[in-house]
Amino acid sequence: MDILIAIITTGLTNGALYALATIGLSLVWGSMGMLNMAHGALLALGGYAVFSVATTLGLPVWLAVLAAAGAGALAGVILYICVVRSLIRTAGKNFETSVMIATVGISISLQNALLQVYGGQPLKQPFGVSGAFRIGDSVVPWLNVVIILVSVVVMLGLALLISRTRMGRAIRATAQNREAALLMGVAVERTYLQVLALSGAVAGICGVLVSSVTQLSPTLGADPMLKAFIMCVVAGLGNLPGAVAAAFGLAMIEAGVQFGMGARWGFPVLLMLVIAILIWRPNGLFGRAQIRRM
Amino acid sequence: MINRRSLLRNSLASGAGLSLLAGMNASTANAADAEPIPIGAALPMSGTAAADGIEFKNGLDLAIEEINAVGGILGRPLELHIEDTAEMGADVVSQAMQRLIDRYGTPVIVNGYNYGTNMVEMDVAADSDVIFIHYNTLISHNNKFKEDPDRYYGSFQGDPPEYYYGPGLLSYLNGLIDSGQWEPANRKIALVASSVEYSIVIANAVREFADQYGWEISLYETVQFPTNQWGPTLAKIRQDEPAVIAVTHFLPQDLAAFMTQFIPQPTNSLVYMQYGPSLPAFKEIGGESVKGVVYSTVVGCLPDDFSEGFRTAYREKFGPTAAYLTGSQTYDGLWKWALSAAIAGGAGEPYDGDQARAVSASMNRLIYRGVNGICRFDPEGQSAYTFPAQTPDASLGMPHQFLQHQDLTQDPVLVAPPAYAKGSFILPPWMS
Repeated sequence: MDILIAIITTGLTNGALYALATIGLSLVWGSMGMLNMAHGALLALGGYAVFSVATTLGLPVWLAVLAAAGAGALAGVILYICVVRSLIRTAGKNFETSVMIATVGISISLQNALLQVYGGQPLKQPFGVSGAFRIGDSVVPWLNVVIILVSVVVMLGLALLISRTRMGRAIRATAQNREAALLMGVAVERTYLQVLALSGAVAGICGVLVSSVTQLSPTLGADPMLKAFIMCVVAGLGNLPGAVAAAFGLAMIEAGVQFGMGARWGFPVLLMLVIAILIWRPNGLFGRAQIRRM
Repeated sequence: MINRRSLLRNSLASGAGLSLLAGMNASTANAADAEPIPIGAALPMSGTAAADGIEFKNGLDLAIEEINAVGGILGRPLELHIEDTAEMGADVVSQAMQRLIDRYGTPVIVNGYNYGTNMVEMDVAADSDVIFIHYNTLISHNNKFKEDPDRYYGSFQGDPPEYYYGPGLLSYLNGLIDSGQWEPANRKIALVASSVEYSIVIANAVREFADQYGWEISLYETVQFPTNQWGPTLAKIRQDEPAVIAVTHFLPQDLAAFMTQFIPQPTNSLVYMQYGPSLPAFKEIGGESVKGVVYSTVVGCLPDDFSEGFRTAYREKFGPTAAYLTGSQTYDGLWKWALSAAIAGGAGEPYDGDQARAVSASMNRLIYRGVNGICRFDPEGQSAYTFPAQTPDASLGMPHQFLQHQDLTQDPVLVAPPAYAKGSFILPPWMS
């Protein structure tokens, strides 16, 4: 029983973190056809923003978490204004490739900027919850519970924003058909700006949660970014509810495999599963086939 | 600004080296006027190992400052050139070293560690006739050297290979039992390694010698590198409580996470870890939960009077949180090479095999007492001898240090080997 609880705790915690990382990535892909390779660096930015506000400035942690979301959103806005907008206008059919390469460069630059500013030694993330509670003989840390709850709240908030607001309708319309949305009067460029800001804010909060476990280092976003990309592909690129389901499902399988077969098999089995799923359903579990004219 | 008088007065650590070098430089021209000797270093200045890369550079900076203050090497000052190896790997590191040789003509390359290289650095050094000193801490260095000692004459591992962590740990555990400091509930060890060569070789060495020292390996678990969710691994450990949990993974933040996840439901086990607990980040992140953790290192600045000058100078120059334990490695490496080059009549230059061999011979002859202890090269593998696993004489081997986090307001306490110990082992709070 205590083993089952350990697996569920690890699976749900990792699932929540993967899901939060995945929806940010999936949102941008679904609405803009843009694979944001700097998403992992935005996670790191969020983590360090909390450190600066809470530890360096000594402000309350809740304010620091808001600042992390703000820093992520601001980075998203800058990314759009300085890079993405130009590429949309100039790269044409090569946009998907160009923006992927450009964001790889931005990711490396941002990581090195964090290295220069904060140094390479890992730093303690001020956002943390100590203590644990017992279920039978098992101990469940409160931090894991907080990570799961905050993730769920952020995901619900994002779902409401996309389904119930004017901005959300514009995002959905643009995602479905950019040209049609333009003809219907949707300000597509502004929508793109909002999508990147929103994705950046989610990445900022996700970075805070991830670093509450991993602590702060400039490369902290690399592993969640890789996992998020896998979840996105499994779910079907751009499918938000599918991405969340895939994140939790795969995280539970990973935790189970880590216990049953050994910790080293968690990731390889995850990858094998992804390959099998993509052979079975090339567009992902919840993705729809796309027809493209060559 | 450092000057010769203040340096000689303040730096107890390299006092012997400083005096020797200053003496050899006495009859040569002023260092400031001579052509500098380019010193190369291929270090991970960005990426996952950047924290250590920065400290390795700090160690070199400090050594160069001190060496130049006493006239450089036979009147020629040293000048550092760095190439970033970022995420490391054989291709990146070998290209970085080749660039140092081609662009700057470096007769010596002093690296900290780079992993995933398969020791390809030794081929770059051999093909260019340059001296290569590193702290990869790998038995594969010795194995490669043995394949062709004449070709790899210029490659030196400044510390003992990781392999000796295995017998060293088992010998230390038995010493605790024999001296009555600890009474284990059983003779089981749970081994937790991560999927990198360094970690796996250590875990395998423990497993190889366990039976010989009267221990049984009850769990051998390999985790991803890096890793931070220890839930499934801890659940396995709790299923069959061992007397010792030996974690050979080495990243400080991951090891601190292990302890914060272990402490809410601890087992009656002594926790031993590798390298990471020597870094300030381990204590800072783990807080109270790391109290009682034992760790060891085959290379690290000793907490003795001899190295006091180095520690003070390092912290003054690079800040109070700078990890001198890491910087001390390249610091000692460069000092030993500088003295050897001066004795051999000069640093030479790439593709000057005769001079490089003369420097190499000098390095092999010179027994150097640095801030990490004695550096004397084993002719069989051209790595530093370890004390006591390889030599029973403390004056002929680098001490395999065992330390314990006891009082979090103080530095960890050196508890073994007895020749260097500053305190005794205490039972960790979760066991007492």
